Amino acid sequence: MNKLINKTLFYFISIAILLLVISAPLFYYMMERLYLEDVNESILIRKDEFKLNHLPTLTFNDIANFNRFNRDVQILGDTISPIQDQISLQYFWDKVPNESEPYQVLYTRIYIQNEHYWLMVRMNLVESEDLIKTLTGLYLTILFILLVVLFLIISVVSKKLWSPFYDTLEKIDDFNLEQSLFPQFSKTKTEEFKQLNSGLEKLIKQNLDAYKTQKEFTENASHELQTPLAVFRSKLDVLLQEPGLTENQATIISSLYDACSRLARINKNLLLLSKIENQYFTEKTEVNVVKLLQESIPYFNEQAQAKNLKIVPDIAHSELVILANKGLIEILINNLLLNAIRHNYQNGKVQIEIKLNQLIISNTGSPDPLDLNKLFKRFSKTSENAHSSGLGLAIIYEICEMHGWKVNYQFLDRSHTFSVTF
Amino acid sequence: MKILIIEDEKELAFSISEYLKTENYRCEFAFTFAEAFSKITTYEYDCILLDLMLPGGDGLKILHELKQNSRQEGVIIISAKDSLQDKIDGLQIGADDYLPKPFHLSELSARIHSVIRRKQFGNTNKIQVNELQIDLLSKIASIGTVTIPLTKKEFELLLYFIGNKNRVISRSVLAEHLSGDMADMLDNHDFVYAHVKNLKKKLSEGGSEEYIKTVYGLGYRWES
Repeated sequence: MNKLINKTLFYFISIAILLLVISAPLFYYMMERLYLEDVNESILIRKDEFKLNHLPTLTFNDIANFNRFNRDVQILGDTISPIQDQISLQYFWDKVPNESEPYQVLYTRIYIQNEHYWLMVRMNLVESEDLIKTLTGLYLTILFILLVVLFLIISVVSKKLWSPFYDTLEKIDDFNLEQSLFPQFSKTKTEEFKQLNSGLEKLIKQNLDAYKTQKEFTENASHELQTPLAVFRSKLDVLLQEPGLTENQATIISSLYDACSRLARINKNLLLLSKIENQYFTEKTEVNVVKLLQESIPYFNEQAQAKNLKIVPDIAHSELVILANKGLIEILINNLLLNAIRHNYQNGKVQIEIKLNQLIISNTGSPDPLDLNKLFKRFSKTSENAHSSGLGLAIIYEICEMHGWKVNYQFLDRSHTFSVTF
Repeated sequence: MKILIIEDEKELAFSISEYLKTENYRCEFAFTFAEAFSKITTYEYDCILLDLMLPGGDGLKILHELKQNSRQEGVIIISAKDSLQDKIDGLQIGADDYLPKPFHLSELSARIHSVIRRKQFGNTNKIQVNELQIDLLSKIASIGTVTIPLTKKEFELLLYFIGNKNRVISRSVLAEHLSGDMADMLDNHDFVYAHVKNLKKKLSEGGSEEYIKTVYGLGYRWES
């Protein structure tokens, strides 16, 4: 209902109905006035004609005859007292339809052989009423047809007029910044739509440029950081070889090592993220997820043992083969497993399941559910773990996004459950 | 042993040289493409460390040049580019190894050690460290006729130590070396301690001297 075309038609119909309702009585009233004026005029003319043609030769004996042959012009004796020289409405009994009918009547004083008489000139209004009614009906019919035709024209024309607008709208709707496909708006001759399209084109171009710059910036920045990081790390390696390091110095070097590793890790992950975004990993092959899991799990045994975790892979009888980038799906699985282990507590549990086309990894951990709104955002750490780069889940999200998969988090049965729907 | 370091970042090149000099490696530097090109055409080396992005040209061209002339030097690419394609490209042209930046010097040293060894000993691939004999192909370490039953990880550790003799190696570096790509995501390096402990125990049970020393607060050192 709220569509532009519907709104246009709604206003049109409202106004049309209002027009019909108001104009019908107005038209009727106007017609009636006009007709009355006409009637009055012809009454006056008849009176003047009588005075000019008949009155001078009329004698007392002619009156009866005159009255007999003139239905609407009568000479009456001075027995009545009407309003003089003024046309007024009066009802007379007509024998033929046998009912009283409205007349416009004029009484004027005349003298026949010096005797005082009244001349009455009248005109029936019944016919006029019929005429007016017919005319009004006709008028309304024409108006109605006109409105219907206009209605049709408007709906057809506005559809045609607004079609470039709807076209643009549809293309804007389909536009996706990440796909970086510039929408091709169809050509239009309408000035406003041209303006709209060129404005949008400008806006989209600026957006795409900014997005591209941002993506390139991340990639370039992390790339440029590799070398100074390499220098930093190598100097630490050299420093470590200095003979006679004190315990204090050793501790400082150790902390520097850790910080350096973390920096390298964040940088590596940022680079990976921007590479996923920049479509570096388009090659896809068939990947057996079950096999991949079975290969990956042993890598985490040592970490799991340190916390005495129980890893329960319930996948032996499952089968899941998907089309994916091999490197990325490995990263996805490793990150999920790593998170499940890292954010676990002593003697906890990690459960791995495959249901139809879903991979579900759940782990025991903090007693509170994680904030879903922040979870997959970059650097929005939900844990206090200083070792996490804050990018692991963002990478998982980005990998899923790129493949068109869906990643979900739920807090079920006091365990944190991540599921990927392929 | 002569090593050519082709790397435009001077500080990094100096660090590498500083780290390697204790092992009787003599390092030469080339900071630009032109320098590198003239050095490889004039001299011979045992190993070449090659950065790919050089002022004046692409490092891969140097690799091409070396391979076209059937040169025997071992080449290790050290690059900030670390995509799989870059690695494949480099190795296909004929590099012996590919080490993405930022790397640990101990890792580099271990790899140089392995590359030179391969070039020198051809296919026999046996190393003798004092009384310890290491067969790289069958991955067996032995003393005399006694085989030391090492796990895969312990064997890798042993090689790493031998590639970094007399140098302190931090525990986190060993952790990274042992668990490959995943290591830098791990936050617990205790498993290194267990592996080193086992290695030390097995070596001494096999009759070896105590070469692996613990450096307090930092890591370990192979002294021989």
